[in-house]
Amino acid sequence: MNRAYGLAAILILIVASGVTALGQAPKSAATTGEAAATIAVMDHIWLDAAHNRDAATLQWLFADDFVEVHPGGFIVNKQEQIDQIMDPQRVLNEIHPDDIQVRYISPDVAVLTDTTTIKGMSGGVTYNGPQRVIRVFVKQQGRWRAAGAGIVRIKP
Amino acid sequence: MRSSQLVVLVLVLSFVPLAWSQTKSAAAPGGAMDWTALDHKWLDSEKNGDLDYLGKFFADSYVLVLANGQSYTKKEWLEILRGPDRPTLQLLNPENVKAHVFGNVAILTDHTTIKGHDSKGNSLDGEFNVFRVVIKQNGMWRATGVVMNEDQTKK
Repeated sequence: MNRAYGLAAILILIVASGVTALGQAPKSAATTGEAAATIAVMDHIWLDAAHNRDAATLQWLFADDFVEVHPGGFIVNKQEQIDQIMDPQRVLNEIHPDDIQVRYISPDVAVLTDTTTIKGMSGGVTYNGPQRVIRVFVKQQGRWRAAGAGIVRIKP
Repeated sequence: MRSSQLVVLVLVLSFVPLAWSQTKSAAAPGGAMDWTALDHKWLDSEKNGDLDYLGKFFADSYVLVLANGQSYTKKEWLEILRGPDRPTLQLLNPENVKAHVFGNVAILTDHTTIKGHDSKGNSLDGEFNVFRVVIKQNGMWRATGVVMNEDQTKK
């Protein structure tokens, strides 16, 4: 009987450990590294599309409930952001990210920070130098999409 | 105990952790979450110096970006809050909290009013539009990022 109880306890532990491991869904370092590299590339795709007024890429990239907070506290949704980028009055001489750091990554969420240098004028906001940015990506239907960004000027 | 009873016991106990994990993750589904309450609890804890709560609420990945572009990690910000240079806040009030929920991450935007001063007596008063990011880890929503901007939308 004691042996039966021992076997039962081991079985319970194995099943419980399996459920716990399933819940945590650990990823290997290699997989996490690949995902982080993908996210860093997505950052470049995002800013290149903004620079090139590539509305199709932005539509593909931005999640439907996308939100961005611009310097000055102006809050825009997906369509408003694309409209600002496509505005013929907009002037964008330079935009590129540096110091990309993936701060958090899970199977379906990634959060990064970067320093984006912007020179130009968009949505009534004048940009002339480095901005500190937090960008959020989510995996939807198997692909990464931009969920939002918060941007603030780095004051000298 | 018969072997059939033992099998039943094993099966019942085996489902306990599964049921527990489901209950834990479903406790606050996106639609039912009170984001305004979460935001208020967060800022009340900063105002009142509830560092135990903040230590648990801030994810290890937490980064705070102030309105001048200066950024702090979780460790750096908690050290400021527990040190002699901590700010004194009379008011830290978020309004118009809006949530954009994407499964295990939510982006909150709010309008935060601050009244207070730093350790040298310089005023911290201001109106800010804030971008906040919270992630779900082990069934708990935790803060992972903040970007503050002075609200110039009415000027």
